[in-house]
Amino acid sequence: MKTVKPAEGETFDIELEEDLLRQNQELARKNHELLEKYNVHAVDILGSIGSGKTTIVQQLVKNLNGIYRMAAVAGDLTTTIDANRIQKKGASVIQANTGKECHLDANLVKKALAELDLEKLDLLFIENVGNLICPGEFPLGAHQRIVVVSTTEGPYMIVKHPYILMDASIIVINKIDLAEAMDVDLNQLKKDALNIKPELKVVFTNGRTGEGIKELIEALNLPRR
Amino acid sequence: MHEASIAQSIVQTVLREAEKQNAVRVESVEIEIGDLTFLGIDQVAFWVETGFAETIAEKAKVVFKQIKGIIRCTECGYEGNIKIEEDPAYHLNLPTFACPKCGSTHIEITQGREALIRRIKILKN
Repeated sequence: MKTVKPAEGETFDIELEEDLLRQNQELARKNHELLEKYNVHAVDILGSIGSGKTTIVQQLVKNLNGIYRMAAVAGDLTTTIDANRIQKKGASVIQANTGKECHLDANLVKKALAELDLEKLDLLFIENVGNLICPGEFPLGAHQRIVVVSTTEGPYMIVKHPYILMDASIIVINKIDLAEAMDVDLNQLKKDALNIKPELKVVFTNGRTGEGIKELIEALNLPRR
Repeated sequence: MHEASIAQSIVQTVLREAEKQNAVRVESVEIEIGDLTFLGIDQVAFWVETGFAETIAEKAKVVFKQIKGIIRCTECGYEGNIKIEEDPAYHLNLPTFACPKCGSTHIEITQGREALIRRIKILKN
């Protein structure tokens, strides 16, 4: 740190260069290292409230049961409702309640990782708090990120939240069975996503029936076990 | 709402540094926020002002500098602004995360994700 004294000798300029996001980034890097050490592949799932994140995780766990040893971290403000739903499908679940915070952060995930027996895991799903803004700021240390949007959120969800796709590799467009009722054009949603990030893989799903989950698993391109 | 927690760490960091330096007053604080963060400058500014109330930084001039999003293409070597389509009628601001020159998706974000306190000016007795 440089301290520069002005001529009057009264006021001082202090070059702080203090990065306010660095602490989280540093913790995320450590989480990532820990996951790598135990050969656990982590997938971070973002989406707004009610977009179907938990249902998608349930379907993934159901379809991958017996192939991978799985766990999930379910981020929420309160309650263990989502955690219980995922657990029923065959994964161990750690509920990460943020209290009043609008996002998971790397520190909370670090605590959740400490509760898991990483040696007995291949795959970890980290379901973030339902929000398409704040979680974007806080990397958690996962290997890849899925963003889930659904037709019931209307036709403009993607163009209104373009920056959330910045670090995503897959976008899931969920509740396709309701597209017609919602007067939402699925191809337009796909076009919107690819216009923002051309390298995204786009997967259409119906979380309730499991339609599209096989395609999602393919898109995830998970390490072989 | 995460602006509040970022603002809180700005307030804590500035006051801690001022105390360490035996400052009697914080004159100014310079903060840089990147366009590719998820932070609203006006909201951060409001919470910082609230946090500084009744402290030695109460009268500090808090200056925010907006940092542009810059990408570098690892294929054609382009380095510059990220392509953003703007439509003021809809308040639309649509970025494209690809090289605006060659279209490649092999890009690196080199600027625009920072949120930092660049410098502070303090008054000592």
